[in-house]
Amino acid sequence: MNECIDCIGDFKDDWPSTAGGVRVAGVHVSGVCVSGVCVSVVFYPADFAVRWSQCSATADFFAEYFAAVEACRSDDPAARDEFIGTLSYVVNELVENAVKFSVGETVEVTVGVEDGELIVMAANQILATTATPLGEKFRELLAGDPQELLFARVEANAEDPEAGVSGLGFLTMMADYAARLGWRFAAVHDNPHNVLLTTMARLEVRKP
Amino acid sequence: MSDTEIKGPGYRVWFDAEAATVHLEGSLRLGTAEYEPIAALLNSVIERRLAAISLRMTDLVFLNSSGINTLYKFAIAIRKLGDIAVHVDASSTISWQSKSLPNLRKFLPGITITLH
Repeated sequence: MNECIDCIGDFKDDWPSTAGGVRVAGVHVSGVCVSGVCVSVVFYPADFAVRWSQCSATADFFAEYFAAVEACRSDDPAARDEFIGTLSYVVNELVENAVKFSVGETVEVTVGVEDGELIVMAANQILATTATPLGEKFRELLAGDPQELLFARVEANAEDPEAGVSGLGFLTMMADYAARLGWRFAAVHDNPHNVLLTTMARLEVRKP
Repeated sequence: MSDTEIKGPGYRVWFDAEAATVHLEGSLRLGTAEYEPIAALLNSVIERRLAAISLRMTDLVFLNSSGINTLYKFAIAIRKLGDIAVHVDASSTISWQSKSLPNLRKFLPGITITLH
């Protein structure tokens, strides 16, 4: 696992056309789905526009599925509800984002459990021109105090009734769910106009 | 759709004027723009300038981040008026409520929250 805040670095002018170019910010796992239980769902572009209720159904599927996986399973109903609520929230936020910002290629959602950690990933292609400003945003998220950033963002939203997005998805995951986030930008080899963005959230599994 | 009730697939938001209580029920995972009718209902409750209002969320199982934003904005709007007491009935067994509702105290310091 690499963990870094500044390693996203500066995108060069010709990025991502440099073959195999990868940039990472925050927590990142290179070997997910090696040993533990792991499930992926791929949405193909013909399924878009995915409705919000379908994001919700996807989140509920993963939450129910992993609640029955031995590493996460609990006989205590309250602990089970807590697990389902948490995983469902995080998956739903990542899927909503991936669908919202996808530029029409596949969206892949993966959840795995390894070494007492739940790993949630959503991968979608974005326009290469948006990679640098996004990377800058992620770096700000990782460098600040999540709670303070959340409070400031909510106050700013309240001042701006026209704000089209709340920007609270990542902040609530970090501040309220103690999720550790990471992003990976990778060149798309047959399309220099797009970049494959993988967002990752890592959560501790608390066994009662 | 009345101005005191909003219903959609899997959710219902309604204002009980007699009890001065807004009820939020079901699972709310809407897009940002889709929260506008709910924000309008909440604003219409603010405009009544009641001395006290309640929010009942014990049956609101899920709320996504856009919905949480709507709720926090409501709290800030009330804080700015400064003369409406707000009480929240919440559930300790619903994950998002135990995690995200305590933040309401930051946006509206006088708010009271009961976890059932």
